[in-house]
Amino acid sequence: MVEIENPTTLINKDYESIELVTFAEWIEGFERLANLGVGLILEPGDDVYLIQNQLDLIDLIALDFSNFDDGRGYTQAYLLSKRWKYVGEIIGINAHLDQLQFMIRSGVTSYQLLESYKGSNEEDYSNGFSLCYQAAANNNGLNLQY
Amino acid sequence: MYKYSEKDTQFLVERVDQFEKQLNRYLSGELDEDKFRSLRLRNGLYMELHAHMLRVAIPYGILSSNQLRALADVADKYDRGFGHFTTRQNIQFNWIQLPEIANLLRDLTDVGLHAIQTSGKATRNITADPLSGLTEGEIEDARPYCELIRRWFNLHPEFSWLPGKFKIAINGAKLDETALRIHDLGLRLVKNKKGELGFSVYVGGGLGAAAMIGPETASFVPIEDILSYLESAMRIYNLKGRRDHQKKLRIKFLVRELGAAEFSRLVDEDWQQTKNDPELKLNLKELQSLKEDFELPIDPINLKGFRDEVDFNYSIWKKNNVRSHKVSGYSIVTISLTKLGSAPGDATSEQMRILAKLGDQYSSSEIRTTKRQTIVFPFVRKDEVFDLWKSLEENDLDSPHQGTLAQIVACPGRDYCDLAKAVSIPIATRVQERFNEMNKLLDIGDLNINISGCENSCAHHHIADIGLLGMQKNGEEYYQITLAGETLHETNIGKKLGPSVSSETVVDAVENIVNVFIDNRKSEEKFTDVFKRIGIEPFKEKVYG
Repeated sequence: MVEIENPTTLINKDYESIELVTFAEWIEGFERLANLGVGLILEPGDDVYLIQNQLDLIDLIALDFSNFDDGRGYTQAYLLSKRWKYVGEIIGINAHLDQLQFMIRSGVTSYQLLESYKGSNEEDYSNGFSLCYQAAANNNGLNLQY
Repeated sequence: MYKYSEKDTQFLVERVDQFEKQLNRYLSGELDEDKFRSLRLRNGLYMELHAHMLRVAIPYGILSSNQLRALADVADKYDRGFGHFTTRQNIQFNWIQLPEIANLLRDLTDVGLHAIQTSGKATRNITADPLSGLTEGEIEDARPYCELIRRWFNLHPEFSWLPGKFKIAINGAKLDETALRIHDLGLRLVKNKKGELGFSVYVGGGLGAAAMIGPETASFVPIEDILSYLESAMRIYNLKGRRDHQKKLRIKFLVRELGAAEFSRLVDEDWQQTKNDPELKLNLKELQSLKEDFELPIDPINLKGFRDEVDFNYSIWKKNNVRSHKVSGYSIVTISLTKLGSAPGDATSEQMRILAKLGDQYSSSEIRTTKRQTIVFPFVRKDEVFDLWKSLEENDLDSPHQGTLAQIVACPGRDYCDLAKAVSIPIATRVQERFNEMNKLLDIGDLNINISGCENSCAHHHIADIGLLGMQKNGEEYYQITLAGETLHETNIGKKLGPSVSSETVVDAVENIVNVFIDNRKSEEKFTDVFKRIGIEPFKEKVYG
């Protein structure tokens, strides 16, 4: 077993515990980390293009949405999901209630809300509309009208 | 006239419902100030000096008379009886109480109006030539494209949290009334050698402290590929735009730092991945349907033998405010709201209702707004122009200032806006008082003055013949003067005249500049022509002596 330094763990959509590495750790040691079943945390400033050819080696990618006004995560999700057809889980972490609809439609497949939103009605913000005006990574069951 | 479908209206209602929940969470303390600020701005809601200001979208500047009546009702019910038409063709209400916002927005949904993305770091209202579809020589009416692009970027999941605001203008005419090259992204409808329709794209223009003219990033994008191209431009901006410096958020800084060639290359590289995606092709069937919706509601009429009324005041007004129409028998009428002492663009609810009624009577119930904060009646029969003028005269809306120096564009300034460094409206009033003789105004001719109260440049002072920018020096209000900005035939940012001048002397400076222009012009030369011929020095000498 290869040791992962400073592991962070996260529960994935199947309620399994999965160890996460940072983007820097992955870039530096992806050959060592490949096939260990690890997940990867992508911060908004991390260059998602650098992992484009390594997606088969990653089980889960966690996109960090903690900064409310930083929209780079939505493009990261789109590139992973729609353009590069990543089949692993794309989880939005540190997510904000009011941004769920944008995250989901950009290609995020699961999410973990920040603690402060516990008990909120997620449906109001994940799927509050009857239609959408643009084709996106995921139309989330909305009728497309454009 | 194009109207939202039931589905579109339902979408507006759903958006209000969602915003009301966010508002209630904020009022109950569940949602913090910073997050609510970000959310409310995406719904056009600002916290101003004295109250909340709401900006309502007027997509590409077109209103039905019923929509204008609804705005008048909002002014009475939720504001102090007036609204302010902006330089981006929208309308603002300055005295809104926070708990009433949802009801206000709900009232507007009944007539297909909303405040979605009228502010915030997302795609803003798309502006168009207020004369779209009305003048000869147009390449194509831009409005159906404006509508399709507006829809596409409405709550777009990938591009609703950009580094900065993102303003788009689209022009289909020969002259550029939209000032597209000072927008974050400007689209010019063009035809290629095969006669196919497409867009030239300009990215990275903008005013503010670092005014820039957007370079061309693509000379021809076929119309069906425009959505994918726009997405690619926004994607590069979203990923690489500056988020670390509050004053460098706009795309112009990214384009400048990367260089236009490198930015274009990155956009093109991304676009090659998506341009053939059938989901991203412009919906040509819907485009055709929209073209039918936007068809002019008038047919040519034969007015052989018609002789217009002879009246001195009417003839002055007509010279300045009436333009020829491409449809025979019709005119385009511009109505100036500018009155001495009132904020340019301000309209009372009573004026709005009068304009709505006159719009029904004389302009097929359609009314347009312009970046010069005026109102356009696009479909007035030539033999009814006099009757319209009489009605305007009765209601004190017959200001003959259109196209003259007195038609000043000004932001709300320090009187209303907490960002402003200096007042704007009182300066506009003083300039109007100085040039209050119609003979003098007619002699000066077409000359525009724009006054911004701060570097945010809401009044677009950089692109005026004479631009005034308010600033503070040792606690006093000063004005920096720029000359010979223009966008109509070519785009030029106004040149700084020299040191800023005090509030006391700024009107003298304006008069001196106008006198240099009059003394030096030859025949029909415009201000920018004179400036290009004689240079800045004669203006400097006269102002700074």
